[in-house]
Amino acid sequence: MEAEQKNEEAKIEEPIASNDSTNVDISVQQSVDVRLEGLTKVFLDSTKKETKAVWDFNVVIPAGKLIGLLGPSGCGKSTTLYMIAGLHNPTGGKIFFGEEEVTHTPPEKRGIGLVFQNYALYPHLTVRENIMFPLENMRPRMEKEKMKALAQEMAELVHIGDLMDRKPGQLSGGQQQRVAIARALVKKPKVLLLDEPLSNLDARLRLQTREEIRRIQKETGITTIFVTHDQEEAMSISDQIVVMNYGVEQQMDEPQKVYEEPANLFVAKFLGNPPINVIDGVVENGELKLINGQVIDEIDVPDQEVSIGIRPEFFTLDENLKLDVYIEMVEHIGRDTMALCKIDGYENSVRAIIPSYKKLEANQNIKIGFRRYFVFNRETGERLK
Amino acid sequence: MLEYKNDIWKALLALAPTLLLMAVFTFYPMINTVFSAFMEGYCYGVWRDNGNTIGWLSHYGETIMQSSYDAEGNLIGFTETYVGIGFGNFVTIFKDPTFIDALKNTAIMVIVSVPVTVIIGLLISVALNGIKKLQSVFQTIYFLPYVTNTIALGLVFAVLFSSRNGLINSFIESLGGNRVAWITPFAGKNPSYFTCLFVLMVYTVWNGLAFKILVFLSGMQSIDKQYYQAAQIDSTPRWRVFTKITVPLLSPMIAYITITSFIGAFKAYSSVIAIFNGNYGPRSNPNMLITVVGYTYDKLGKMSNVNELGRACASALVLFAIIMAITVVELWVSKKKVHY
Ligand SMILES: Nc1ncnc2c1ncn2[C@@H]1O[C@H](COP(=O)(O)OP(=O)(O)OP(=O)(O)O)[C@@H](O)[C@H]1O
Ligand SMILES: [Mg+2]
Repeated sequence: MEAEQKNEEAKIEEPIASNDSTNVDISVQQSVDVRLEGLTKVFLDSTKKETKAVWDFNVVIPAGKLIGLLGPSGCGKSTTLYMIAGLHNPTGGKIFFGEEEVTHTPPEKRGIGLVFQNYALYPHLTVRENIMFPLENMRPRMEKEKMKALAQEMAELVHIGDLMDRKPGQLSGGQQQRVAIARALVKKPKVLLLDEPLSNLDARLRLQTREEIRRIQKETGITTIFVTHDQEEAMSISDQIVVMNYGVEQQMDEPQKVYEEPANLFVAKFLGNPPINVIDGVVENGELKLINGQVIDEIDVPDQEVSIGIRPEFFTLDENLKLDVYIEMVEHIGRDTMALCKIDGYENSVRAIIPSYKKLEANQNIKIGFRRYFVFNRETGERLK
Repeated sequence: MLEYKNDIWKALLALAPTLLLMAVFTFYPMINTVFSAFMEGYCYGVWRDNGNTIGWLSHYGETIMQSSYDAEGNLIGFTETYVGIGFGNFVTIFKDPTFIDALKNTAIMVIVSVPVTVIIGLLISVALNGIKKLQSVFQTIYFLPYVTNTIALGLVFAVLFSSRNGLINSFIESLGGNRVAWITPFAGKNPSYFTCLFVLMVYTVWNGLAFKILVFLSGMQSIDKQYYQAAQIDSTPRWRVFTKITVPLLSPMIAYITITSFIGAFKAYSSVIAIFNGNYGPRSNPNMLITVVGYTYDKLGKMSNVNELGRACASALVLFAIIMAITVVELWVSKKKVHY
């Protein structure tokens, strides 16, 4: 990594307007880490009502990594992105690109690339003109041939090299999205921001393009922030994910870690499909009990009311049989079987996923076990175990 | 299927009053205009002799007796008549120096006022769109001329540009300049063609701005803000944003406004008579800025004893042909240049 960076620094020394149009390099000249310190955005509407879109956001996004910014609709993801881009002024806090503070730098001076939620491709320009647009603003002026070559190169990278003379209206959603990425990348931004870039695509194209984004990001090594509310999308391509809720950061870690060790009930509920089962419980004298009185474990937590979280795939049939349940319904979903189980004393059923080779029949009482569970404070949602 | 049929009848019923009125007051006169323009020697003038001889005077000045009487010898009516069909009316108006003047004046007004209004309208709209505070106040100010009577506005302009006590001349004088004979004589000097045209153009441009700004502004407000944000992130200079984003995305409106402005400018009439108090120019030369529509009206007004109606129709047709040709060209150009 370090050697690579030195190599790239050496390249900067070359005059920009070199005539050698065949040899354009697409790698990033320097990738920087992005640091947010206490970033806050409060919107005031006409009735002076405050909306805390982003609240005291502290995060370091390491250079050259792809970070997924994840959260439910309206949690402040776009707002965070727009503040990093400079399109929104933060109410408080600071933004750093590397060592340089950019909190009050206008967007045009930040050297970022932004892919909008709906791409914002200029409809009247061809794909080539769209990709060349940022280059034409560069000073000192770049030569036309060089711009064309760079645009072509970038288009090849996102596999749209043969669509250069079409207008955006003549492209599919996925192709438009790749044009938008090419346009954002062509000026070699320090930071690439993607705002739900896949939300308009169908399931298959989504899968395909997100892998492409990952590939492009790896090839270019640009620090990238990827906003989405689709957990699977974020988990599959990010180096790390940041989960947000109501403008507040909940947890930041590697995707699998966040899934395996959620920091709180919100994160646990937000990640996972089918969602985690949450049932009420209490801790009394070091014992974790269900509300029907059944003791499930010993636990080193002060007495309190808790929520117990069990992911569907945590359930097993062989070990530590701990719960008496009534199987209401069995559904075979390929390799696995999903069972809806009723626990005595609870209104809502829990969902268990069991490998299909274990034969399960509906309408019977069985004992079911689970290999893991989380315990959260019922009021604050804070993880206890 | 049946429902559709019912709908057609309902639609026709709803349209009927308008169609009827248009048929009587628009379509019929239009068709008749075409006929009249080509009728040579069409008789209109009433020739009275001794109070009872009634005849028609043709284009060529021959009297054609066409009066019909009943058995008691009372006049019961006339029949319209004409000598023949041809281009005589067109030949006559093109030989008429006043008509040539009218063509020239109209052309100059079109060439000056259309680009100027469109460009100024665009620039003002961009500026208006850029400001947040007081936007609606300015919008209202610019929209005022649209809802104000043309003639009243013309009177205001006539006062503004009055040589003796007009605001403009007072202003020029306060800056140390000399009073100008804009549209009325001053110090023995008669107003020149240039000053009169200038005042007329200022008035026309200003009067036409309101509608253009309204259309441009609403067009701009419907352009997705993200294009501008994208451009900003790509460090696009303002001028380039205007020429590369705003203008192309506004091009349907610009095309619409340009075409309608051309048509409007060719039909200039009331603006001229508003400024010159019922004439087409200053008192020293009342026909100085006569327009094609003005010429047409004049001919209609003077329908006395020669075939002036035919000439008015011919002049109207000439104007129609010019507007038609230019509109076709514009549509053809806009097909290539406009990004719908
Ligand atoms: N210009 C604004 N004025 C007032 N409130 C705003 C404004 N923009 C956003 N908000 C509010 O800030 C909060 C965060 O909005 P934001 O657009 O960042 O959500 P998001 O996480 O991107 O959601 P989504 O996934 O739906 O895009 C929302 O409650 C929203 O209503
Ligand atoms: Mg958003």
